[in-house]
Amino acid sequence: MADDDYDMDAGGYDDEPAEPELDEGAEEEIDGDKVEEDVPDPLLGDNEDKEEQEAVEKPRKTIKYMTKYERARILGTRALQISMNAPVMVELEGETDPLEIAMKELRQRKIPFTIRRYLPDGSYEDWGVDELIVEDSWKRQVGGD
Amino acid sequence: MANAMNENRGEPDKTLTFTKQPYIVDVGPRKIKDVKFSMFSGEDVLKLGEVQVSRSQSYVSQEDKRPVDNGVLDAHMGPTNKLGTCETCHGDFHSCPGHFGYLPLVLPVYNVGYMSHVVDILKCICKFCSRILLVETERVNFLKRIRNPNLDHLRKTGIYKQVVKRCTAMASSKKVVICSRCHYVNGTVKKAVGTVGVIHDRSKVQNTTSNEFNDTIYLKGSNTPAKLSPSVGPDKALKLFKKMLDEDCELLYLADRPEKLIISIIPVPPICIRPSVPVAGGAMSNENDITLRLAEIIRANASVREALSGASVHNKSLGVLWDNLQLSVAQYVNSDVRVADSSQQNGKRITGLVQRQKGKQGRIRKNLSGKRVEYTGRTVISPDPNLKITEVGVPIKVAMTLSYPERVSDHNIERLKRAIRNGTYVYPGATHLRKKDGSIMSLRFNARKRLAEELKLGDIVNRHLKDGDVVLFNRQPSLHRMSMMSHRAKIKHWNTFSFNESVCNPYNADFDGDETNIHVPQTEEARTEALMLMGPIELWTGKQLFSVLLRPYADMRVYLNLSVTEKSYTKPSGERVKPYETMCPNDGYIYIRNSELLSGQLGKATLGNGNKDGLYSVLLRDYHSLAAAVCMNRLAKLSARWIGDHGFSIGIDDVQPGDNLNHNTNRIISQGNKKCDNFILDFNKGNLKCQPGCNAAQTLEAQITGVLNKIRDETGKVCMEKLHWRNSPLIMSQCGSKGSPINISQMIACVGQQSVGGQRAPNGFIDRSLPHFPTNSKTPAAKGFVANSFYSGLTATEFFFHTMGGREGLVDTAVKTAETGYMSRRLVKGMEDLFVCYDDTVRDSNAIIIQFTYGSDGRDPSQMEGKSGFPLNFDRLLNKVKATCPAGQHRGMSPTEICEMVDERLSMHDMSTEGGCSEDFRRKLKEFLEKKAATLEFTRRVLNGEESLTLENVAQSICGITSQQLKVFLEVCISRYHNKKIDPGTNVGAIGAQSIGEPGTQMTLKTFHFAGVASMNVTLGVPRINEILNATKKIRTPVITAKLTCNDSIPFARLVKGKMERTLLGQVAKSIKLVMGLRSASIIISLDTETIGALHLSCINAKTVKESILKTPRIKLKDKHIRVLDDRRLEVNNPSTYDRNKLLFDLQMLINKLPSVIVMGVGTIERAVINKKKERDKFNLLVEGTGLQAVMGTEGVNGLETTSNHILEVEETLGIEAARRSIIKEIQYTMESHGMSIDIRHMMLLADLMTYKGEVLGVNRFGIQKMKESVLMLASFETTADLLFNAAVKGQVDKIEGVSECIIMGIPIQTGTGTIKLKQRDAQIEKMCKGLELILSE
Repeated sequence: MADDDYDMDAGGYDDEPAEPELDEGAEEEIDGDKVEEDVPDPLLGDNEDKEEQEAVEKPRKTIKYMTKYERARILGTRALQISMNAPVMVELEGETDPLEIAMKELRQRKIPFTIRRYLPDGSYEDWGVDELIVEDSWKRQVGGD
Repeated sequence: MANAMNENRGEPDKTLTFTKQPYIVDVGPRKIKDVKFSMFSGEDVLKLGEVQVSRSQSYVSQEDKRPVDNGVLDAHMGPTNKLGTCETCHGDFHSCPGHFGYLPLVLPVYNVGYMSHVVDILKCICKFCSRILLVETERVNFLKRIRNPNLDHLRKTGIYKQVVKRCTAMASSKKVVICSRCHYVNGTVKKAVGTVGVIHDRSKVQNTTSNEFNDTIYLKGSNTPAKLSPSVGPDKALKLFKKMLDEDCELLYLADRPEKLIISIIPVPPICIRPSVPVAGGAMSNENDITLRLAEIIRANASVREALSGASVHNKSLGVLWDNLQLSVAQYVNSDVRVADSSQQNGKRITGLVQRQKGKQGRIRKNLSGKRVEYTGRTVISPDPNLKITEVGVPIKVAMTLSYPERVSDHNIERLKRAIRNGTYVYPGATHLRKKDGSIMSLRFNARKRLAEELKLGDIVNRHLKDGDVVLFNRQPSLHRMSMMSHRAKIKHWNTFSFNESVCNPYNADFDGDETNIHVPQTEEARTEALMLMGPIELWTGKQLFSVLLRPYADMRVYLNLSVTEKSYTKPSGERVKPYETMCPNDGYIYIRNSELLSGQLGKATLGNGNKDGLYSVLLRDYHSLAAAVCMNRLAKLSARWIGDHGFSIGIDDVQPGDNLNHNTNRIISQGNKKCDNFILDFNKGNLKCQPGCNAAQTLEAQITGVLNKIRDETGKVCMEKLHWRNSPLIMSQCGSKGSPINISQMIACVGQQSVGGQRAPNGFIDRSLPHFPTNSKTPAAKGFVANSFYSGLTATEFFFHTMGGREGLVDTAVKTAETGYMSRRLVKGMEDLFVCYDDTVRDSNAIIIQFTYGSDGRDPSQMEGKSGFPLNFDRLLNKVKATCPAGQHRGMSPTEICEMVDERLSMHDMSTEGGCSEDFRRKLKEFLEKKAATLEFTRRVLNGEESLTLENVAQSICGITSQQLKVFLEVCISRYHNKKIDPGTNVGAIGAQSIGEPGTQMTLKTFHFAGVASMNVTLGVPRINEILNATKKIRTPVITAKLTCNDSIPFARLVKGKMERTLLGQVAKSIKLVMGLRSASIIISLDTETIGALHLSCINAKTVKESILKTPRIKLKDKHIRVLDDRRLEVNNPSTYDRNKLLFDLQMLINKLPSVIVMGVGTIERAVINKKKERDKFNLLVEGTGLQAVMGTEGVNGLETTSNHILEVEETLGIEAARRSIIKEIQYTMESHGMSIDIRHMMLLADLMTYKGEVLGVNRFGIQKMKESVLMLASFETTADLLFNAAVKGQVDKIEGVSECIIMGIPIQTGTGTIKLKQRDAQIEKMCKGLELILSE
C-alpha cells in the first residue's frame, strides 16, 4: 500500500499539466489525494498568483477554527511524509513516531500545508494551517483562574 | 445490461522496450469520473467478441481436457484452468483479463429485463407505421417538455409516464385507436401471461373493422396471413422498432435506438467469471450455471436453425422451438422467469445473470459494497481492568500474524533490523521485507542476517504488531459508530483479546463467549485518522447519550483531583424532594464542590451512562476526554480491587423472605384478590360502571389488570423496604448496576400477572384458559396471575402461564432484531450522504440542500449539556463559576446592574445571528439571567436588604453574583456555545441514522399503550416507527387530538364530542317502520328524543335528518320524497312509485339502508374520548379516526391547536411544514414513551429528508428512489436488476459522488477528511526540495 503511494508521488511529480486544470475548473472531484499534496512543483508560477488574487478579492467566510477532520487529514498526510523521511520542521526531543512528530509540528504551527476548503458551488477557500485556530481542548479551562 | 466505464485506470508503467507499439504518453493514474449505462447492439457485441460460440460442448472428451473450439469454454475467451493459456492475449490464468465471445441467434428474442420497456413502447406506437399514437399537437407539446435541458431523471421519467398513460388511455377505452398518420387500427397491448412475449389484442377491434383488418394483414406482408396471432413476436417488434423515428424515441425517454432492446446476438462472458471447476481429480468438471445456460441456448438455437432449414428431426413446429429459445435466453438473464410448462421445475435452481447481482448475496451488496479485508483477526474477548480504556490486549499469536508496513527511516532502522533478524516466528519480528525495487521477501527462512545488514532507508518492513500500534476493534452487530473504535494495541500472552470492562457498553459486549474483530490500519494516514476520529472517548460522546458504563459501586471514596462542582440525584427510593432537596434521607443527593464530595452516595446516575449531568460527562465537558478517561480508569481499578478484597455474591439466603415480608405479601395479594372478586361480582350482576368508550367486559378487564399490576408494584415496594440493607440484590438494584424492584419482588415475593399480547392469558380452551378452571372464570388465578415467587415455586398452572409470557418475550426478540435491522438499513441508505458543508448547510451528494443550518442552530448533538438537546446547562455552569471564583471581597451586583451588563454583552457581534448564535440560545440566556436578577430582587425585598448592610449581604450570599462572576459566566457560556459548533464535513446523515436506528433495537416490541384514557390505544414501538418512516397511508391507530375553545367544562366537551362522533340514524331513531295504506306505502321514521338528549345531540330534529338523508350518496331520494311530519317524525316515499310490483322490494331496501345514514358527525370518526390531564382540569378530545379537516372545522374545536398523528393527513390538510413538525413530534413521542431520548437534531434531519422534495417521502425503496439520483446507490439498496436495466435504457450517468458509489468504485469519499484538499506550502519549497529529492530518487 505504502509502496503504491510512492509510485503515485513519482507520477504526480512528472505530471504537471494535470494540476492547473484542477485549479481552473474548480471542480470538486476527489483526487488521488496524495498526488498533489506531496508535490510542490505545480504551485509555482501563475497558479499561485491567481489563488492569491482570489483570496484577496472576496473575504473568506468559512469558520476560523480547524475542524477535527482537517486536523486528522493534515496530521495523517504529514505523518506519511515524515515516515518517508521528509525533513522535520521542528526540533526533535527523542520522538520517533511520525504521528507524534506531526502533532508536535502542528502544535508549533510548522506544518507547511495549505488547506483548500471546497464550498458546495465548487469554489474554494485556501487557508494556511497557521491561520487556523487549532482548538487544544486539553487546555480548555472554565472559570477565571 | 451492458455498462461501460467511461475511463479506465491507466496501465501500470513498464520498463522502456523497443517495440513497434505506438508510444503512448502516460498521464499518470486516472480516476473514474462517471459511469454511464447503455445498451449493446448486435454490432457492439460482434466488435467485442473474439470468437463465435456455436457448440454446446465444453471439453473435447472425457479424457482430453482441452476446450472445444467454438465451444462454451473456447480458449479465446480465456484459459479454463491454471495450465492453459489464452488464445487471444496469450496470457496465463492470472494475467488474462478474459475476453468476450459472441453467440448469434437465428431468430431474435426479447430480453426479459427490457420486457416492461418493450411493452411500454409498443403501447405507445402504431403497430403498423411505428409512429407515436399521440396526435400531432400533443406530440409536439410533450416533445417540447421532455427536451427541457434542466430536467433531471425523475422529471423526465414523469413525463414519459404521462406519455405512456395518455397512449394507453386512448387504447384501453374500448375505442378504436386509429393511427392519425397511417389510419391503422390499434388494439390494446399487454404483456403475455405465462410466457415471455407481448400480446396485441385486437379482438375488440375486429368485429367492427374486419374488412379493414384483413386488408392490413395483406398489407403487412406477414408470411402467415391466414393465421391470426394476437402475439407480437420479437421479429415483428424489431421491425417496428427499426422504423421508429428518433424524435419518437426521445419522447419515450429512450437514450438509444429501441432495436437494442431485442437480442439478436448474445455476448458470451469471459471464462474467468464463469469458471469451470474440475472435480474427482480432473476427470469431471462442474460447470458454472452461466455456462450451462449458454449451452442450453446453443442447443435451442441449433434446433431453430434446423427447423428453418427444413432439416428438422423434431416434430415440433418452428413456433414451439422459437418459444423454447426465447425461454432459455430469458432464463439465462433471469432464472426467476416463470415457466409455463412445469417440466423444468427440478430441485436445484440454476442462477441467471440477474440472480448474480441481486440481493444480499449478490455481486453488488456482497462484493462491491462490502469488501474483504486483510490484516484482520478474530477471537474471544475477556475483561482486564488493568488495561487503560484506550487499550486492547492483543494475544501474541495474533500480533505475530498481523503486521504493519513500516518504512525504514533514520529513527527506526535499528529496531527494524532487529525485527528482521528475529524473523517471522520470534516475537518482536517481521513477516516480510519489501525492497525499494518492489521485490517482496518472506522472512521465514531467508538469510535474515544478511537482509538485516542490507536494510536501507526507504525499504518497507512488515513488522509484527507492537505495543502502542493503532488497531480498530469491532464487535458485530455494528449498530452505531461506537461499535468500531480505535484502540492502542498492548501485546499480551494468552489467547484472547482483552479490554477494560468500561468499554463493554458501546460494543454491547459481555464475556460469555463473545468474539470480536480487530483490524490493523496499514498506512500512516489511516492510523492517524483512526486515532483522531475513532478514539473511544471521542466516540462515546458521539451518541446523544454519554454512553460509557462504569460499574457503579456504592461505597467509594475516591479523591478526584479536579475542581468540579457537580450534583445529581441517585434514585434510591424514599428520596424526599423539595424544599430540602439536599437533605435526602437515603443520602441520595450528590454534591461535589471543588472536587470534594460533600454529600451523597455515588450511584448509576452519577457514574453511569446516559446522564448529561453525570460526573464523567461533566469532566468531559469542562476539561477533556482524557480527564474523564483517567478518572474512570482510577475508579475501575479501585472497584476491581475492592471487589477482589471484599467480594460480592448472591446466595439462596438473599431471596428467602422473612416472616414479616411473607405476611405483607400475603396481605397485599389477598386484598387484591378480594378487589377483583368484587369487580367480577359487580360485572355478573351488571352493576359495573362502564369506562368511557368501553363495554362492561372491557371495563372489567381494565380494572382487574390495574389491580393486579398494582399488586406487583406494591410487593416490590415492600421488598425494597423490608429487606436488610446488606441484601445483595437490593444493593445491586439501589446503586443502579442491575435489576429493578420488580425483579427482586419476583424472586422473593410474587411473580405477578403474566400477559400475552398486552392482555391477560387468553382462552386456549372453550371459554377458559386451562381446563383446571371453571368456564368463563375471570379470577386472577384463572387468567395468569402468579401469586408465588420464584423462591416459593410456581404451581403447574402458574408455570404454564409463565411459559406463555416467556415465549412472547422470545418471539418478540427474534422478530424485533430482523425488523429493526431492516429499519436501520433503510435509514442509513436514505441518509448516508448527508453532510455539513463549509457554508453550514446540510446537503446530499448532489449538493441539494436539506437543511440551511444543521438542527437549526448548527450545534454538535454529541456535545449537548442541557436538557432536551439544549447546548448548555446554565444552572450547573453558574454554580461552577461561583465555586471556582469565589466572591471574596467583591460586592454583589444589584439586579439592575446585572441586567445592564447582560444586555451589553448580548449585544456584541458574536451573540448575533450573523455571529453564529441562534436566537433561541440568546433568548434563553437572557431569560435565565433575568430570572436570577428577579430572584435577587425578591430576596432583597423579603429581607428588606436595603436597610441594613448585613441583610443585604445575606441576600447576596443566597443568590447574589459579583460582576466578575457574571463576566466569567457570560464568557464561559458564549465561548462554550461557539465551541459546540458542528464541524463542517461531519457526516450528520449517517450519525443521525445510527442514532435513530440503534435505540430502535432496544425497543421492546410492546405495541400498545394507554394514552390517558384506558380505552384509547396508540400504536407504539417498532411498528409505529415503521409507520412513520414508511409514510404509511393507512396507519393502525389514527388519533386526532383536538383542543377545545372552552376547555374547562365537561358539558361543553360532551357537546363537541357528540357533534363529532359518527351518529347513525339507526342509533337515534325509535323506529323505522313501513306503513302501508290503501293508496300508498311509505316509511315512517320517528326519532328517539330521549336518546338524542342523552347523546347531547339536541340539534338533531326531523329537518336535519332529512338533510342528511338527501346528502347520503347511494340513497337516491329527492327533496319531494321526504316529508317532515313534525319535529320528530318523517315520512319517506318511494322514488319509483309507478311499478306496484317492485314497490315493496324498494321500500324494504330503503329500510335496510336508512339506519346507516349518518345524521351527525364525521363519517370517518369512530369515536371521541374526552381526555383530562391530571393536574389541571383542562379537557381535550382524543378522536379516533381520520378526518382532520372536518374535526378542525367542528364548532367548539380550537382548530389552531388540533393535530393528528397521521402524517400524510397532516400534510394533506396543513401542508408540508406541518408534516415535518409532525414527523419530529411523533418519533420523539414514540421514543420517549419507551424511555429513550434522542437528540432532536437527528429527528429534524430525518424529517427534513423526508419532506425536502415537497411531499412526504417514506424511507423505503419508493421514497429513496425519489430522493436520490445515483443508479449505483439505488441498485445497492433494493430492486437491483430493475434499476440497472432501466438505467441502461434511459442511458443514465452516475457521477460517482455519494458514499455508496464511492465505496463501490473504491474512491475516497467526499465527506469528513475528504471534504478538503491539501497543498504543499510554497514558502517551504526550497527547504522541502532537498527532502523530496531524497524520497523521489528511486
